[in-house]
Amino acid sequence: MAFQHQARKVTRVVVKIGPFSGVVMDSFTFAFEVLKEDEELLRHAHLEIIRPGPRLCCSLCGREMDAESGDLSFEHNMLPGQLFSKGKRCSHCGQGSLYPSGGDEILLMQIEME
Amino acid sequence: MCDTCGCQTTKQGHQDRKLLEINKSLLAANDSVAQKNRKHFGEMGARAINLISSPGAGKTTLLEKTAELLSGEFTFAVIEGDIETERDAQRIRAKGIPAVQITTGGACHLDSTLVHKGIHLLEKELGKGSPGLIFIENVGNLVCPAAFDLGEHKRVVMVSVPEGSDKPAKYPRAFMGSDLFVITKVDLLPYFDFSIDEAIRCARAINPGISVLTLSAKTGEGMEGWMDFLKSESMNQDENVA
Repeated sequence: MAFQHQARKVTRVVVKIGPFSGVVMDSFTFAFEVLKEDEELLRHAHLEIIRPGPRLCCSLCGREMDAESGDLSFEHNMLPGQLFSKGKRCSHCGQGSLYPSGGDEILLMQIEME
Repeated sequence: MCDTCGCQTTKQGHQDRKLLEINKSLLAANDSVAQKNRKHFGEMGARAINLISSPGAGKTTLLEKTAELLSGEFTFAVIEGDIETERDAQRIRAKGIPAVQITTGGACHLDSTLVHKGIHLLEKELGKGSPGLIFIENVGNLVCPAAFDLGEHKRVVMVSVPEGSDKPAKYPRAFMGSDLFVITKVDLLPYFDFSIDEAIRCARAINPGISVLTLSAKTGEGMEGWMDFLKSESMNQDENVA
């Protein structure tokens, strides 16, 4: 893309990585650093990662909500089936159990170049 | 100082800066080939099923047993994915089922481009005949295959009893996108601390709509549920047209 636009260098790359995408952030940023060294055009690029918070959906009323801290274990950016074992219920209808909604995106959002 | 990014360049220096809005999935290339595969399967008059599990959960054995139990209600063919060797395709062919092998040469999952190659190989093998179902047996791995749409119509994730009932909790992504969860080797339940309840509970916490089957390809226990699922899939051709 940088070639197409006859850019001399890429200055910023913005990606959006969902909480349930399975992407390990440390590995992702490490790989970007390696790529920077290999690729002249990227040498001065700054990587910006947008990380939307996890969303949950109610199995009964279907409403979506943000997960509260402690709902899920996010150490590895994945969720074990902990929600269920915690017996956490929907804060709207008070009945339904919650499951993860979306959040598996790995998007290239913007590239800034000169 | 530049007020856009705080660098030391004067504003003048940034005049030729371009910002491209892309907003595309990094998996977009894979997904678009997957869509073509889905259409291709549909034109062949077949439904495709992507089988995902760890190595050794019994994917090939389940397909062998399925071949033995066929009673003319549907037919199937197999695209085998492995890192190396033709072994799995040979096992399936030995049961009289058309099979092609794709080897990834190191990659731990199939992607839609590899499957596209597999479809063309399979068409050669099949000639003019068309099976009702085409299995894509993924590389044994519960992690990476989950992220790649291959163009399948249904995704089946398998866990065998010796692996332990914590698999859905530990590999949630594989269960999030699957339609059916098959617990295999249930003849071994007396010898392992596998809780079917725990496995189902964790799978449904992640994906409340997932169906579950328990079976043993060795003893034949639970195989009728599997055969019923396949039969109804093979008749479910409507979605292909859409």
